[in-house]
Amino acid sequence: MIRFWDVLERAENGKILAEKDWDRMIGEVAAQVVSDYDIKYDPEDPVPTDDSLADRLFEAGVELFEKTGIYCIDTGKVLKFTKDEIMEALEGAPERAVYGSGNDVVEMPHREVEDPRDPVVNFSAVGTPVTEELFVPICQSYAQEPIADTFSGPLITTYRGMPVTSGSPVEMEAGIWNVIKLREAARLAGRPTIPIHNFMSIAERTDATIAAARPELGALAGDGLFVAAIAELKVDYERLKKVSFLINSPYVIGGLYGPLMGGYGGGPAATAALLVAHHILGVISFRAQRHNAFPIHIHNICNTSRDMIWLISITGQALARNTHLVTVANAFMASGPCTETIIWELAAHSVAATVSGWHLNPCAVAKNRHPLHCSGMEPRMHAEVGHVTARGGTTRKEAGRIVKALLERYEKHISNPPIGKSFTECYDPVSIKPKDEYILLWEDSKKSLEDLGLKFKLL
Amino acid sequence: MSIAKLCHAVETGSKKEAEDIARDLLNQNINIQETADQLTSTMQKIGDRFARLEIFLPGMMESAQTMTLAMNILGSKILESTSKGEYASKKAGKVVLGTVKGDLHEIGKNIVKLMLEANNFEVKDLGYDVDSMQFIKEAEAVGADFIAASSLMTTTMPHQKEIIDLLKDRDLRDKYKVVIGGAPTSQEWADRIGADLYCPDAGSSSKLMAALLQRK
Repeated sequence: MIRFWDVLERAENGKILAEKDWDRMIGEVAAQVVSDYDIKYDPEDPVPTDDSLADRLFEAGVELFEKTGIYCIDTGKVLKFTKDEIMEALEGAPERAVYGSGNDVVEMPHREVEDPRDPVVNFSAVGTPVTEELFVPICQSYAQEPIADTFSGPLITTYRGMPVTSGSPVEMEAGIWNVIKLREAARLAGRPTIPIHNFMSIAERTDATIAAARPELGALAGDGLFVAAIAELKVDYERLKKVSFLINSPYVIGGLYGPLMGGYGGGPAATAALLVAHHILGVISFRAQRHNAFPIHIHNICNTSRDMIWLISITGQALARNTHLVTVANAFMASGPCTETIIWELAAHSVAATVSGWHLNPCAVAKNRHPLHCSGMEPRMHAEVGHVTARGGTTRKEAGRIVKALLERYEKHISNPPIGKSFTECYDPVSIKPKDEYILLWEDSKKSLEDLGLKFKLL
Repeated sequence: MSIAKLCHAVETGSKKEAEDIARDLLNQNINIQETADQLTSTMQKIGDRFARLEIFLPGMMESAQTMTLAMNILGSKILESTSKGEYASKKAGKVVLGTVKGDLHEIGKNIVKLMLEANNFEVKDLGYDVDSMQFIKEAEAVGADFIAASSLMTTTMPHQKEIIDLLKDRDLRDKYKVVIGGAPTSQEWADRIGADLYCPDAGSSSKLMAALLQRK
């Protein structure tokens, strides 16, 4: 069994390779394996039902990882692993992640394809920039949702009027503030010990994370942290230092993987193989207990386009059928809050991910670049769709029909989506309740989704 | 052997074929201006195909490398034609490009580089984790028109502002057009820090930058 020490040793002693040669090799190997295993994207089949395609994709991803390994940027070395080591690592990987303690324990088991159990939903304002003043109200809007199993926060780009710059003392101060304020939001939401699945969203550096990782600040045992791979299949010492800290901590380790569709890997099929390979990277080098995937379309900066839905669905199936990993799909929306388009995007992503074996991590909104454009309503809608999809025993075939109908409604807007409304336009900032306009929009949209076959009475 | 065949070799990323054709063309009485124009047009088409994701980054990289190989072989002919006044390089502008300090993400920046080069910009690529002063020193050294800084993390975005602040400190602000981009950046951020241009995606960078230069 590969140990973390083996990873560190190989990062020091692996074969040296120029980074540009690594980038080039990724595309070549990905193209080769998708050809060898006959993995083809079919735009007419966004939620594939072909088990053998999923199994071939898994094999392709394993072979890709075996051929490439992991690139360590700091040493310029390639960490290689044999197929036996890969399979042994997958076999030994955790089959459940457990967040929280006491009355707030959240178990995330491995999910199967077409699993009728509810997906666990991690409510996240993934990376949306907000102000210091609205950080707590926005976090509260997530944590207060009864359907939220865990939550995490957005980020601030200035703290006390100073920019939060990577590596600066301000970053460390802001990181500590981040943890204090997340737990404050949980208390204000009436859920003081709700697990925070990623308690550091503001600071990037490991020293700032360690400084903030204290229970008296609000980072409780059973909360979690993410460690993000660098696209494609790269790590650096900053990340490995974070792993070193986490494996000696009471926090759940989440791996975070965002291959770029259209980037070095290539198209949807090659990027799907690359995403499988990223999960192996997470098992081996991050010791991840749960795995978050956020493949992104290189031009659209979202993962709700037709090709991305296919990629997410088939990769989820490949991992669900061939491993016992705990996998979670991060939803990245093109549209912004309080728009009809975002509802169709959220629903399509949730339906496809849920039937394909993923848990849910909603959601980045408005391409993640518009300040204050996020609220607890978006993950609520995503979670409700995920729950009724699972509880209704939705098959992949039915999911495919629903997703195609939804794509018809929004895919023409993906490249130029509506950015929607800001938090204070969507919510009363005092009561932290969504405004009637948003509630009515969702209620009306639910009727339309019910017509497509989603049964909200199952909630 | 013809220019059309060379363009086809560039399109398909057939390096050996492109080199053979380029060597053969050297011995013919070709119009180097026409050859360069057609190759540039080919790369623009490839860039457009990438923007529509009809091809992916590896394909565009192969074409760009193939074009570079061909142009290297044709280099002596270009020099000769330039000295005779038969060929004038139509460089759209000089760009110093990099990902800012503390940031290791460079896929987007690399695509911007390919798109700019495909559209006749001369690009000095500084890589990633580039110190703000380094952008300025390189811009001064090469006589750049643009300083283009990419950031993929909110904690490194302040370095885009730092570049502009350092230019102001040195009374160099008006000398360069500062272009920013990267997933967490926005027009609002560009306005706030006083950047000259925000590029929302790699595909639009060359057109937006060319238009900005024309307004100079």
